[in-house]
Amino acid sequence: MSQLIKMLAISIMVFVPISSHSHDGEKHSLIGESKADKLDQCVEPTEVMQKEHFEFLYHQRENTVEKGIRTKNHSLANCIDCHVSYDEKGKAIPVNAEGQFCQTCHVKTAVNIDCFSCHATVPRDNSSKIKSTGYNQNIHIESTANNLVEYYKETNYEK
Amino acid sequence: MDKITFTKFIIDPKIFWSNFILLGIFILIGFGCSHYMELEGHYVTGMNNQIVWGLPHIFAVLLIVIASGVLNIASISSVFDKKLYKPLAPLSALLAISFLIAGLAILVLDLGRPNRLIVAMTTYNFVSIFSWNIFLYSGFAVVLAAYIWTMLDREVNKYSKFMGTFAFGWRIILTTGTGSIFGFLVAREAYSTAILAPLFIVMSLLYGTAVYYLVLRIISKFHNTYIPKDVLDNLKKLSVIFLFANLYFLGLYHVTNMYIAKHWDFEIFILSSGGIYTLSFWFGQVIIGIVLPIIILSSNKFGTHLALTIASFLILLGSFIAMYVIIIGGQAYPLTIFPDHVIIDSSFYDNVVHSYIPSIYEFGLGIGGVALALIITLIGIANFKFLPTMISSPHSSEPSDKTTDS
Amino acid sequence: MRNSSELTRREFIVKSVTAISAVYVIPDLIPKAVAAKPLDLEVSAKTKWAINVDVNKCVDGCTACVEACVDENGLYGFDRPETDSQWIRKLRIKDIKTDKVTTLPMMCQHCENPPCVDVCPTGASFRREDGIVMVNQHTCIGCRYCMMACPFKARSFVHENLTEQVTSAPRGKGCVESCNLCVNRIDHGSETTACEEACMKEGHHAITFGDLADPNSRVSLAMQAKPSRRLREDLKLKQRVTYSGF
Repeated sequence: MSQLIKMLAISIMVFVPISSHSHDGEKHSLIGESKADKLDQCVEPTEVMQKEHFEFLYHQRENTVEKGIRTKNHSLANCIDCHVSYDEKGKAIPVNAEGQFCQTCHVKTAVNIDCFSCHATVPRDNSSKIKSTGYNQNIHIESTANNLVEYYKETNYEK
Repeated sequence: MDKITFTKFIIDPKIFWSNFILLGIFILIGFGCSHYMELEGHYVTGMNNQIVWGLPHIFAVLLIVIASGVLNIASISSVFDKKLYKPLAPLSALLAISFLIAGLAILVLDLGRPNRLIVAMTTYNFVSIFSWNIFLYSGFAVVLAAYIWTMLDREVNKYSKFMGTFAFGWRIILTTGTGSIFGFLVAREAYSTAILAPLFIVMSLLYGTAVYYLVLRIISKFHNTYIPKDVLDNLKKLSVIFLFANLYFLGLYHVTNMYIAKHWDFEIFILSSGGIYTLSFWFGQVIIGIVLPIIILSSNKFGTHLALTIASFLILLGSFIAMYVIIIGGQAYPLTIFPDHVIIDSSFYDNVVHSYIPSIYEFGLGIGGVALALIITLIGIANFKFLPTMISSPHSSEPSDKTTDS
Repeated sequence: MRNSSELTRREFIVKSVTAISAVYVIPDLIPKAVAAKPLDLEVSAKTKWAINVDVNKCVDGCTACVEACVDENGLYGFDRPETDSQWIRKLRIKDIKTDKVTTLPMMCQHCENPPCVDVCPTGASFRREDGIVMVNQHTCIGCRYCMMACPFKARSFVHENLTEQVTSAPRGKGCVESCNLCVNRIDHGSETTACEEACMKEGHHAITFGDLADPNSRVSLAMQAKPSRRLREDLKLKQRVTYSGF
């Protein structure tokens, strides 16, 4: 019994620091830069995101697949969009590549993730979207408008 | 006769381990094959978008059908109270459990995502016959385990008849379920008929008896078990009855299909113009699997042992071909999407009879499964008292002196 | 250094006005076949997505819809036609009695009583409230029973590792997939599927997509204009994809 308690104590000592390890003030990936690097916090406080991001993702995935809810905050596509790093040439590096956002932690905690056998690891528009001009007016215009506003914000903040 | 004592499989350790290792190698090959298929994806197999179920499913369905069938011996002894078979019943239940596990293992390892087995075990769609089968299969294993316990433990022996009857009922439903996996497929002309369920049941009776006999024969080679003449004669009689039942239901299945106007073309395909499938049907399923065994078992030219051995081999060979005809042949025939049109052109093979060339990986997986069934049986009989010390030999307590052949 | 790319006050005002007018004004000018669903709203049975194919307008040799589907969903194959996925395909069929040759696109028929949903052991193959039959690839175990059950051969199994998936259409090895009526586009407010759009662009207008619940939607109008029928009506699957003109 005492053996068991000892084991438990040791394992708590060993594992707790890892689980409360924080990114604050750090770059999110070893190579390249991502949009997330420039932001103060993710869609939820950092602590919450570290511990519960998979809960959000699971929840969102049920909502999206079964009910067609397409909100952006907890969607994997949005995570990737923000957290993907770009190298000097501006090319996106897969989020599950070594030293990248997903992989750094998941290697450390030895939790295997199965997302990227199906989901794109970099933001990748379908070629019809790139070619097409007319079909998705709403989204296109919305995103152009958003980009403009973003852009304005960015340039202003830097002044 | 009143007291049956059971014993472990007493065998030269050398023979045991050599067999164990041999089977182990096949199992490892099977796992290797399935791992490779999972790693690379199923394009390395012969299966494709046209033939979606291939060799692994032939093996798996066959093993599951056999699993239900080998329980015959136990059912006869407990449900129908045939004293003759009482000593042979535990082995029959053990074989059922091992063939079931092996069949399921193949089925699972061939999934596109075997790592998601937990999903299959936790999320159910109760409309799906497949879902029900998951329950039927896992439940069958539990029922069998309980049944074996009641047979081998004297204290609970009085429940043995009840459990035997329960297991008997369960296996009939189980085979019905297996047959219904195909029977409920309205889209395919080969399948959408309820006759497949009883057809599968009579197939299970026949194949199970054949497997049981062969296993008993192999064991008796090493174990010096005496198989008395009346058991042999009875097995022979049973096999002949099951063979005729098979022939009858097979005929019924095809005649029914012919009466369903929409299935007429498929019948022509299987019975006369289907190339390899027609050939397999007539020469494999009918002649090798049914007609030849009937002839051999009915003629008096062979000794009982020899006749049963040859017939059992032929029945099992025929069973494999029968599964090939049912599973592959049924898919090979193109779907009738437009009953009043002919499809001239399609990029998706809508208008051709599909061919299927299995890859070595699927075969490895299937053989691995068979090896798994045998190794479970081997481990079972070597460690637990499944074998009778004597079989229906009332005036001798020295079973080891008996000769093998009658 | 960044001066060149910075906005002047004037430019900013001009661009924001354009943007705002784009967001608030332009969408009103586009005729709406359906009311766009807000992103956070659940789909409901009030919408009934459907497709009508007018086979007389479908042109022999044209594969615009197929190509559009491939582009939209990233269905790039491996040059192995027996195992590559096909969500939509072109067929040429001949009437047994009249010898009339017709060409038409074939895809998931989005049945209201889908056999694939009935047989799926895990419930991964499911029918969304708005009638889209699709595969939840998070719970699909790859048993392929749905492919056995489908009377239209609409489903494909992913036979190999994929790497170039597009963001809007996740798909991967070991799962079954099929046409999902461009569900991602539709949920984001698009009024057309990739195949319909391509068919319109070609000027053929053979494929018509829309909301069956709305009597004035394109698909409802198309179905009112011409009698239409379902394939394999004997199976009573009540497909949402209907064919006119043959």
